[in-house]
Amino acid sequence: MNDLIPLARGLYGIWLREVMRAVRDRGQLIGGVSRPLIWLLILGIGLNPYFRGEVYGEVRFVIPYTYLQFLFPAVIVLNIMYTSILFAVSVIWDREFGFLRAILVSPVPRGLILLGKILGGSTIATAHGGLVLILARFADITLSWSQVGLALLLMFGLSFGLTSFGVILAARVRSFEGFGVFSNTIILPLYFCSSSIFPLDPSLTRAQTAALYPEWLVFLVEINPITYAVDALRGVLINFHQFDPRLGPAVIIGLAVAFFFIAWLDFRRR
Amino acid sequence: MRTPRPIRQSRRWLPGAINILVVAALLFAATFLPPDTSLGEVRRSGTLRVCVPQSAAPLVTGDPAAPGYDIEVLQHLAERLGLRLALNINPAIGRDFNPRNWRLTRAQCAVIAGGVVDSAATRGFLQLLPTGVETGWAAIVPPGEALGPVGTAAVLPGSQGLDRLALSGFLRENGIRTLAARAPGDLVAALETGAADIAISDRFTIATLALDEDARILWLPEPPFARFPLAFGLWKGDLTLRRALRDAMDAMGRDGTLASIAERYGLDGGPEDAADIGELFG
Repeated sequence: MNDLIPLARGLYGIWLREVMRAVRDRGQLIGGVSRPLIWLLILGIGLNPYFRGEVYGEVRFVIPYTYLQFLFPAVIVLNIMYTSILFAVSVIWDREFGFLRAILVSPVPRGLILLGKILGGSTIATAHGGLVLILARFADITLSWSQVGLALLLMFGLSFGLTSFGVILAARVRSFEGFGVFSNTIILPLYFCSSSIFPLDPSLTRAQTAALYPEWLVFLVEINPITYAVDALRGVLINFHQFDPRLGPAVIIGLAVAFFFIAWLDFRRR
Repeated sequence: MRTPRPIRQSRRWLPGAINILVVAALLFAATFLPPDTSLGEVRRSGTLRVCVPQSAAPLVTGDPAAPGYDIEVLQHLAERLGLRLALNINPAIGRDFNPRNWRLTRAQCAVIAGGVVDSAATRGFLQLLPTGVETGWAAIVPPGEALGPVGTAAVLPGSQGLDRLALSGFLRENGIRTLAARAPGDLVAALETGAADIAISDRFTIATLALDEDARILWLPEPPFARFPLAFGLWKGDLTLRRALRDAMDAMGRDGTLASIAERYGLDGGPEDAADIGELFG
């Protein structure tokens, strides 16, 4: 037991450093606010007239919710994706400026150092996702405390997986500039191909869906793990699923475990 | 030279906490921006236009003295929003199975009332504002009759658009003979003459009947028979109008206005719950 206390303090110290650095970084916080404002307020309101009802009985937008409500959970996921994956910049930063070397020679095991960093990044990303919940009133979504709790749990799982993914990327990219380009070529395609801004009609068969969208796009949406994370959050926040409700949590847990394991293997080799 | 004092633990969090508070306040302030122009349009015209069927008692009656539950609720809502209520009576509503053939458009009305059922299918077309009443299949059990095996059921399907196929299929599967009623009065007559053991119709049709005080009215149990909350339908995307109507409706619920209107139309109680399908049909 006495051996565990110093380890726990080490883990806490690394987590706290990441959290403090993020909350003091106004630029990062502004990013966390501007994304939901742009995506929900500008895009959501801008496209709302195109999806609104005009004739009773005619379907233009198949989802039994408004476009803003449909978009809302996806914007949370986008905020988490940016914060989690770009968190890895701190890993590059620590590597470049020697901080990583300093803590790697400390008595804290490497696995715990990695866990502390990833938990720190996940906390920040979850907070950025949670901030979007403040806009629920704007999208006309009423949330109970249990919904908020469950949503935060899913957000944390997703943040953990994506932060681990960011660390994996950071191990393979050597410069800040390279990471910026690389992350954008990953985040935006994953987001757009996750049925985040356009719905696949759950009442249609696969063949009917393929008649509406090109098969390659349906395929990209279906193999994208972010699709199921967005779907899980939609299930919790607006009680709407496009896929089997069990898939979302399963994919989130799978991502978290698999990416942390790969990140741990990479970190051990350092 | 003075040594710097160590920063207290609580102070360490202060700059970060201030940053987070500023960001949260900014997002909260953004929620007060109107997401659309629907309420503004209605306020500019000064009129809340509502599409209703010619008759859907007790929600819409056509009687100026007691115009119906939905109409009275809407009158109060319009009044609270400082608007005039204008009814657009459309005889096509409910007549055709496909709502597209009712030809209701945004230009005709901002709200659709008079029996809009809150279901996933309806929510595909409209945003809904629950009115606090529900409908579904209900049964009248004559006074003194013990619940048990049913031989014949008098049935009046009504105009609510409930699942008639599910009801007729269930009755057939359980060997219950169906006596088709043509008017609400036929249900009472069938029970009084003993031609039927129970009478089945939608909840609202039964609410209009003059029944013996001791007669029991029971919901047909779910499953297999679903109950549906009723709602006002607003066009999808009209968030500001829905928000204003919802707030006014909540206020009406708090000050007892909704309850008093429901009481006036016999919608305050509603049928009893049967324990299960076996209790009702034996």
